[in-house]
Amino acid sequence: MSLFQLAWKNISGNAFRSWVVAICALIVAAFALFITIVLRGAETSLQLASDRLGADIIVVPTGAEAKVEGALLMGIPAKFWMPSANLEKLAAIPGVENVSPQVYLETLTGASCCSVPSMFMIAYDPLTDFTIRPWLKQELGEGLDLGEVVGGSYISATEGKQNIRIYGYLVTLKGNLEPTGTGLDQSMFFTLDTARDIARISQTQAETVLSIPADQVSAALIKVEPGGDPHRVAIQILQKIPDVTPIESASLFQSSRKQLASLLQTILSMMGLTWALSVVLIGLVFSMAANERRRELGVIRALGATRAYISQSLLAEAGILALCGGAVGIALAVLAVFLFRRLIIVSFGIPFLLPSPGSLVLQISIGLFLACFSVCLAALFPAIKISRQDPAVAMRE
Amino acid sequence: MITLHEVSKTYDLGKGSAVAAVNGVNLEICQGEFVIIIGRSGSGKTTLLNLAAGLTRPTSGKVVFEGVNLWDLTDTQQSFLRNQKIGFVFQFPSLLPTLTVLENVSLPPTFGAQTPAGEVRARARELLEQVGLSDKLNVYPRQLSAGQQQRVVIARSLINHPKALLADEPTSNLDEKTELEIMDLFAELHASLGITLVMVTHTRQLVSYGTRSVEMAQGKIVNGNGVPIFETRSERI
Repeated sequence: MSLFQLAWKNISGNAFRSWVVAICALIVAAFALFITIVLRGAETSLQLASDRLGADIIVVPTGAEAKVEGALLMGIPAKFWMPSANLEKLAAIPGVENVSPQVYLETLTGASCCSVPSMFMIAYDPLTDFTIRPWLKQELGEGLDLGEVVGGSYISATEGKQNIRIYGYLVTLKGNLEPTGTGLDQSMFFTLDTARDIARISQTQAETVLSIPADQVSAALIKVEPGGDPHRVAIQILQKIPDVTPIESASLFQSSRKQLASLLQTILSMMGLTWALSVVLIGLVFSMAANERRRELGVIRALGATRAYISQSLLAEAGILALCGGAVGIALAVLAVFLFRRLIIVSFGIPFLLPSPGSLVLQISIGLFLACFSVCLAALFPAIKISRQDPAVAMRE
Repeated sequence: MITLHEVSKTYDLGKGSAVAAVNGVNLEICQGEFVIIIGRSGSGKTTLLNLAAGLTRPTSGKVVFEGVNLWDLTDTQQSFLRNQKIGFVFQFPSLLPTLTVLENVSLPPTFGAQTPAGEVRARARELLEQVGLSDKLNVYPRQLSAGQQQRVVIARSLINHPKALLADEPTSNLDEKTELEIMDLFAELHASLGITLVMVTHTRQLVSYGTRSVEMAQGKIVNGNGVPIFETRSERI
């Protein structure tokens, strides 16, 4: 009979103790994996959103900083305007290589002229754009023509196979972008010409007219010259152009990053506490079990088992329970993340992207390792203590 | 075969008090003997048996098994020696409750030389047949009577062909009829295998089964060290 067979026999023969240890391992593994997936998912999501934006600086009207973040991250529709004359002023600032305007719009809620309610829409200028076209080309192979739109990963056609009705205007969904876990997944992109065409049609076809003020834009995206310092450019924008705020890409989504950091701190504290309690509980359970089985272990020693065998056998029990409990915990955590990913975004108020298979495997391995490490660590002290006892003393009442 | 030189064992009871369970004992047990150690409760006979088997470290003195001082050996060497050369029968139920009868008897080879599993099982079956339990191979200890459990323990103690069998009050929890059955089994094993048997008991009537008896009181051998003072088994027969 091998060490593991003997350990397994002990596990199945001591159901209550085995369940307690396995459940502790389950909690540690499930909690660790769930938290890792959510936090890594949020980090990846923020990074992807920043990368997709593709600008060094985004300039918005003063007071609209939080709105632009909410729109880009959480898909909360936002509308704000600044004079398009700012574009020329921005282009004149030393160090600026390119300036491209964007107009932010939203669909109507509860109106028959819009087949998708309360959706954030981004209109860009194809002549100057340097942020949207590159990934449109990368993912669709071409730009967008009049009446064509591209949707985030959650957008689907509502009229026929390819169309969506916006303000009574039937746009053609050319394709979908890869998911980012942010509000961009629930947004739609089209050119400024399409936006103006929708506004024109809305005057006769929509319940409410889509209004795009003349000589106004929502935001200006800035690309800094190669080797230039975005921070210096941002300072000059602040000094030279009134009523606008430049947001550097490094500090974009700053409030979300802060929220994530605070969430991370809370979660890590909770996780640390849960881990410590689990280790103490498992340690107690193993101490009690070792004490309860003192005589049995003394007999095994008398029959020829070495001290090392005794501690290895207890650690093998711990390892098997940790693996079983950990595996179930991991399965539950993965299931919970997949089933409740939307709820996670809403309740935590953070963007969230499901991990890639490779990253998931890595995170599962970490969760399982943590469960095994915790249980074995908790079992180590009682295992060593009991193995060092004289067999005769261990067998005494 | 087993020699104890001036062996003492003192248990620390804490708060500065200690009790000498065994006090300066000299004892030599020769190959093939059936030694019965008797004494009242607390006389130190179980501690003496544990010392002889290397189950507890003496406070002073030497325990020599086949010319080797047990406490000069490493834990691995000592465990291997116990596994290969000594069989144990305890007073209390000592079968592992989570293992079947066959698995319990097959357990000791797990800790020692790598004997093929098939061989171990065949030997375990043979021994269980010898102790009259060939129909109980796959039952668990809780399903057996106290006498049957002790028979399984005897079968387990013989699995590695030990040179010595040490039994600590093996019949104290049994009724009179079962006690005699177990003692007859010991006598039969001693006669047929020529194994060295050392048995601790507080029942004077059982002394007749041994070839020699040793009486202990207050941690010392008070009578019978090498002298058969009671009726021996051969005389009984």
